[in-house]
Amino acid sequence: MNKKTGIFLILPAFIILITIFIGPTIYTIVLSFSSYSFTGVEFSGLSNFSRLFNDPSFWRAFYNTLIFVGVTVPIELFLGFLLALVANKAMKGRSIIRVALLIPWALPTALNALAWRWMYNTDYGLFNSILINLNIIDTPINWLGEIPLAMISMMIVAIWKTSSFMALLILTGLQTIPSELYEAAKIDGATNWQALRKITIPLVRPSIMVSLLFRTGDAFRSFELPYNLTGGGPVNSTETLSVFAYNNFFQYLDFSYSSTIALIQFLLLLGLAIIYLRTLRWDIYE
Amino acid sequence: MALRKFFGLVLVVLFGVVALSGVSVEIGISPREIGAVMDEHISNFEAQNPDIQIEWLKVPGVPGQQHSQYVTLFFGGSDKPDIIAMDIIWPGEFASRGWLAPLNEYFPEEEHAEFIENMIDAAKYEGDVYGVPLYINGLHLYYRKDLLKKYGFTPPNTWEELVEQASYIVEQEKDPNLYGYISMWGKIEGLFMNYLQFFWGKGGEFFDEEGNVVVNSKEGVEALQFMVDMIYEYNLAPESIVTYTPDDARILFQQGRAVFMVVQDFVWPILTASDSIVADKVDFMRVPYFEGYPDTNTVCLGGWLLGININSQHKEEAWKFIEYLTSHEAQLRTAAVTGNLPTRQSVYEDSRLVEQFPVANKQYKDFMVGNVRPSAQLGEKYTQVSEIMQREIQSALLRLKTPQRALDDAVSQINALLR
Repeated sequence: MNKKTGIFLILPAFIILITIFIGPTIYTIVLSFSSYSFTGVEFSGLSNFSRLFNDPSFWRAFYNTLIFVGVTVPIELFLGFLLALVANKAMKGRSIIRVALLIPWALPTALNALAWRWMYNTDYGLFNSILINLNIIDTPINWLGEIPLAMISMMIVAIWKTSSFMALLILTGLQTIPSELYEAAKIDGATNWQALRKITIPLVRPSIMVSLLFRTGDAFRSFELPYNLTGGGPVNSTETLSVFAYNNFFQYLDFSYSSTIALIQFLLLLGLAIIYLRTLRWDIYE
Repeated sequence: MALRKFFGLVLVVLFGVVALSGVSVEIGISPREIGAVMDEHISNFEAQNPDIQIEWLKVPGVPGQQHSQYVTLFFGGSDKPDIIAMDIIWPGEFASRGWLAPLNEYFPEEEHAEFIENMIDAAKYEGDVYGVPLYINGLHLYYRKDLLKKYGFTPPNTWEELVEQASYIVEQEKDPNLYGYISMWGKIEGLFMNYLQFFWGKGGEFFDEEGNVVVNSKEGVEALQFMVDMIYEYNLAPESIVTYTPDDARILFQQGRAVFMVVQDFVWPILTASDSIVADKVDFMRVPYFEGYPDTNTVCLGGWLLGININSQHKEEAWKFIEYLTSHEAQLRTAAVTGNLPTRQSVYEDSRLVEQFPVANKQYKDFMVGNVRPSAQLGEKYTQVSEIMQREIQSALLRLKTPQRALDDAVSQINALLR
């Protein structure tokens, strides 16, 4: 097989990628520097950006997104790591634990959000009913109707759902650690805690890295959860950047402004990813 | 297996032949609107017009999601669906984007008078007409007639009476799960509709003579203060009301957990169904007004219209189907099956309407004191104005701001948007 044939063979996939991925990306960038109207697209310089930086709704959405990412991702990482350690233990029922880990993550987020919306319901929801019957509270808790409780409720759903995703990724890393290392450490008289710190964590670091990158990106772009759980309310305390961009595009038909939001979101995420890659080094044998 | 494959192939070929034999017109409308009667309308129409096939694109039931789907299709310049069903607040917005075909040649001025005037106003944008009213709906005050009777009350005409009655009933019933007043105060369009009814009921106007937004007037602030008081002062509405959609309210009412409720008319068939525990205990009336304002129109109207996609390849055939769906007989049948009221005035003079849908005239009477949202004046800015209002109203309902402050903020944001 010569080079020409090779190029010829990847051409279809390449063309499809260009059209469905790169085309819209370029169009988004074009739109964010222009004003879109029925008459056509007109270049408008940085006006969309100056409007964005003076828009309190944008800053609110930005703040909500940062808080959401900043709280959920570390907790998910911690819980995911614990779950992975449990699932990695050679014991009975290990396969059941792994399946149980998969379920929350495999359910579609939108359905999850709707199910949780029912459970959180103040007037006839599952949680209030349990808490009242156990005499833990005497008046129902307004899970989704108070600030900042609505945001906390939303974070709980995210943590429940994606800790298991983190666990699965970290578990794959744990599986690659040779057991001889632990045996050698045991002979040298290392405690479990020392083994965890000196062997497990350094060796599992690449998987942690990957799961952090994936999850931060996902959490930063979270849309289905706020959209279906709270609709961004009460007021706009749970409106994330993605919901803000969506509303501007689909509800207010402000295509240029919405593209600007998406572009800024992309740049922020890119920045985050670079910081990650810099601070959590890929190579484990430093 | 082979046999099944063969039959499948035959079917596909047959469908292909059928599709080639006529023009196919696609209509986008959600099953939630007039879904129960849609198949019947389609087969009747196709029997009358053998050269036209109707495809039904079942869009989602939540108006916001439908809106998103249409925006995606139009933004991409799609020629399908040929016909779309539009919420009363969309035609101005879609027309201003150049997505709808003007219907002046099909739907001349002299025929407009046959429809309810408010609905025609909503169909117009800059002098052209872009939609034909399909059905009309609005908000009503639903109440528990058994509870009112038990304590010797007649249904309230004013909000002051409602507060007095609801407070007394809740106090006497001693049921912690019984709320005095519920409605859809989540961060949705319904919240703005519900605010407007209190605002109008004080004699408030959204625009002044010069066309300025004056929602932060004395009437506006008092209306919002009343909503806040409903929760914290009179303790009639639960604090969780700020998360309610119309369905959330309906479920509570259906469980017998509320005395008064304001939502759209789609709940009537559900509340009076045989499996509803409040089936024989519920009644409805026009939305009240405040003392001293008996002449105000407080019923917030909604409704749906049919328009034609500007890129449609079959505008003539699409028009034929719209004509059919909005005809006297079709509207009568739609009302009988789904409870969605006609927009053609002549249907209300037809004795069959009340026979087939007993509360039709009662609902229609409420619409006579109806009022529309300011969507025609705001055009494509309407959804954003509504969102600003929802956000600021909720700020007051959560006591983050005083009503005066919330509405001042709303007006300054709306003015910045309209500039």
